[in-house]
Amino acid sequence: MKKLWIALMLSAMTPAAFAVTTIKAEVNGMVCAFCAKGIEKKLNALPQKQAAFVDLKSRVVALQLKEGQDVSNEAFSKVIEDAGYSVSKLERVNQTVAVIQADVANTEKAGGK
Amino acid sequence: MFKQHHVAPFNISLVSSSLGALLLGQIALSAHAAALMGFEDSAMLMSEIGRYNQEWMLNYSPTFGHAIGVEQMRMSGKGERATTISGINYTGIIKRWNLPAAQANVWFNGSVGEARGQYDGFAYTPSLQFDVESTRLYFLAKARMIRAPHMNFDTAAVQAGFSFYETGFNDTQPWFVIEAKTMRNNDPGLQVTPALRLINKNYFLEFGVTNPWQGEGFAPRLNAMFVF
Repeated sequence: MKKLWIALMLSAMTPAAFAVTTIKAEVNGMVCAFCAKGIEKKLNALPQKQAAFVDLKSRVVALQLKEGQDVSNEAFSKVIEDAGYSVSKLERVNQTVAVIQADVANTEKAGGK
Repeated sequence: MFKQHHVAPFNISLVSSSLGALLLGQIALSAHAAALMGFEDSAMLMSEIGRYNQEWMLNYSPTFGHAIGVEQMRMSGKGERATTISGINYTGIIKRWNLPAAQANVWFNGSVGEARGQYDGFAYTPSLQFDVESTRLYFLAKARMIRAPHMNFDTAAVQAGFSFYETGFNDTQPWFVIEAKTMRNNDPGLQVTPALRLINKNYFLEFGVTNPWQGEGFAPRLNAMFVF
C-alpha cells in the first residue's frame, strides 16, 4: 500500500516537474538591442508564451511555453527570421526562462561566452 | 551649372525647440543608423537635426527587408532660401550577413518627390549603404545622390565607432562614433562629427557636434529614432 502511494505521488508530481518546455535558440547577427526588439515583441505577442528572454552577448533567445501549449520549431524560427536574423542552433529544454537567464548571467559573470 | 552653396548658421533656438518636440513627441530616427527599417509589421521614425541639413523619415515595413514611407529633407544655403525635398521613400535590404558575433548589410534607400525653395522641381535621392557591426565595433559607408533641377547635394559619408562596454538586452549601451561626411556644393566641404550614441531596445539617440567646433560655427547635431 505504501509503495502504491509513493507511485501515485510520483506519477502526480513527475508530469508537473517536466511540464516546462522552453525553446532555446542561438541566433546569428543579433548585435544591437534596438535592432533585435522585433524578436522580443513578436515572442511576447504569442498566446503560447509563458516567458521570453533575449540576450545579445550569449546570442540566446528563449521562449518558455505555457503548459499544454506548443509552438513548432518552424514557427519559432520564422519569428527570428522575420526580424532579420538566422537561427544557428535550436533545442527544446525542460528549463524555465528564469533558469536559463540565471545560467547565462552566471556564465557571463564568470567570463565565458 | 550647379550653384555654389554657403550654408547659413542653423538657428540654435530651432535646434532646442526641435529637440524638445522630438523628445516630447518621441518620434525620430537617425538617417545614418545601421538600421534603416524595423522588423516585419513595424513603423520607424527617424530624424536628423543639424546645422547643415535637417531630415526626417517615417516608414513602415510590411515584411522584413522592405519599407516604404515619407521623407522630408531641408538644406539651407547662405544668402539663399532653403530647399525642402518632400517625397515618397523606399528602403530595401540588398544583402544581409548574419554572423555569429556580427552583422553586415547592404541597403538601398531613396526618395522621389518635389523640391521647393531655392530650387524647384522633381527631386530624387537614391543611396547605397554598407554597414557592419558587432556588439563592440561599428562601421558604415554611405553614398547618396540628392538631386533636383540645377541642384546637387550629393553626399558621401563614413562612420566608425566603438561601444564603451557590452550591455544586456534591457540596458542602454553608450557608443562613441565619429563621422566624416562630404556634401557637394556645401561648406565646409568635409564635415567631421564626433558623437555620443545611446542605444536602447526602445530608442536610438545620437548627439554630436560638427566642425568647426567653436565660435560662430558651432554646429550641434541630433539624430534619433524610434520603432513602433
